[in-house]
Amino acid sequence: MKHWLKRNLAFARLGIQTNLEYRFNFFIDAIVQPAMTAGIEIFLWFALFAATNTETLNGYSKESYLAYVIWAAFVGRIAISWMYEHMMMDEIETGSINAIILRPMTFFEYYLSQLLGYKLVIFLFSSLVPLSIVLYFGLPTALNRLPLVALLIFYYLIFIHAMSFMTACLAFFLNRVRSFTLVKNFTIYIVSGELFPLDLLPTFWKKLFLNMPFAAGVYLPVGYLTNRISTELFLTGFINISIGLVVVLFLSYIIWRKGLRSYSGTGA
Amino acid sequence: MALVLKKYLRLFSILVKTSFIADLEFRVNFSLRIFTDILWYFMQILSFEILFNYTPLIGDWDRYQMRVFLGVLFIVDSLYMVFIQENADRFADKVRKGELDFILAKPVSSQFMVSFQKIATASFTNLLIAIAFFLYTVAQLEGFQWYRLFWFFLVIPTSLIVIYTSRFFFSCLNLIFVKSESVQFLWYNCYKLGLRPDSIYFPTVKLILLTVLPMSFVASVPTRMILEPPNTYLICWSLVIGPLSLYLSNIFWRYCLRFYTSASS
Repeated sequence: MKHWLKRNLAFARLGIQTNLEYRFNFFIDAIVQPAMTAGIEIFLWFALFAATNTETLNGYSKESYLAYVIWAAFVGRIAISWMYEHMMMDEIETGSINAIILRPMTFFEYYLSQLLGYKLVIFLFSSLVPLSIVLYFGLPTALNRLPLVALLIFYYLIFIHAMSFMTACLAFFLNRVRSFTLVKNFTIYIVSGELFPLDLLPTFWKKLFLNMPFAAGVYLPVGYLTNRISTELFLTGFINISIGLVVVLFLSYIIWRKGLRSYSGTGA
Repeated sequence: MALVLKKYLRLFSILVKTSFIADLEFRVNFSLRIFTDILWYFMQILSFEILFNYTPLIGDWDRYQMRVFLGVLFIVDSLYMVFIQENADRFADKVRKGELDFILAKPVSSQFMVSFQKIATASFTNLLIAIAFFLYTVAQLEGFQWYRLFWFFLVIPTSLIVIYTSRFFFSCLNLIFVKSESVQFLWYNCYKLGLRPDSIYFPTVKLILLTVLPMSFVASVPTRMILEPPNTYLICWSLVIGPLSLYLSNIFWRYCLRFYTSASS
């Protein structure tokens, strides 16, 4: 256990160091990108409320929507994995995975710990921006809920990494699999509530998406933070992720085993 | 002049042919790319359709007008996907691996080769889908005057030039900075400004999006050509900004090339 922890902390440190090496890149990734996304969405919501000429929309105020889009842009950026999924695919496609599977560690944990380390730093830095905006403009945010929200997001990241791992394993069988990442992440973008709050959807779709683990990526944490949802609903996120994690890990294991059997170690 | 044009057209047709052969090599990827773009279109439509359940207008436009805006956006975006995106995405690799040497040594315009070497033939399907969607949305408009399509077609090349030159500008930064992946994401964020109707922005932002960072030309201006009576100022400006952007992009390309150190030599 001690060795396992030490090893994974080293991987997490590696993830942090690699990404902090190019600070300009990191700055754009952690601050500029989500800030611009939030900025554009704020314009949209302002225009929407100006057109409706009402104080509330579907029971929520303009301030509530603004708080939601600001937090959603940042949380959505954290609760997704592009870079490490592509890295895993590259390792399999090029054959450089050989160097990893020979070591006393698993391919899964090697990238999971790096992802968590990297996301932790992104979280610490980038959350300062929505935090200062909501505090400055007095937008509704329950800051005492932030630790629990962070816990859910990082638990969700393990699930997202399992999905990434499963997608990357397809590279054992197909030559180019990057389009799978796009399809998967676009779908997650819709069903997680990053595109718009899930409560705007018709009841059937809302219920369906809330029962999926993806809602725990954006809608549940942001909704809880901005007082849109109850604690009970928020806590269902942990259960949904746990169920999703079991299913995805099981499928990943099968694909990984089959993939390794068919893998010929090209590029070794 | 005619000979030069003929030479480049021939070269372009060869590039299309080789790209198509290369794309068919990975058929699953080929099909998935089409599907991915359809999913993206679906996302854009869904986001506005849901919002229109709660409001009659967003900016200046109602639900039907917004659908036309999305139709225009899909056409422009699919053109960008076909001709520009892959080349821009690969540019950083070409610089890093020194592949740019081979392009610079060729007896053709290096900017042309860098920009159009690979055509994403899978996205042609999406272009057809986008055109079909656009025609459907236009047909839904009450009392639509079809002659307005003339102004639309006049402005569309500018839309594509604006996307191309802005993306090209950011790609060129790869020649100056070693690692600039995030700079490319920065471009995407600028592009995102054009994915929303310009009427939602404050007047100052709107002005910036028409001049310094002309992302309004991505879809908002062409849509106005269809939905509103012809605006002489916008039409003239679009005829100026297109060639001007191309000219500036070439100057910037030549400037950035001075920083290229040729990794493979």
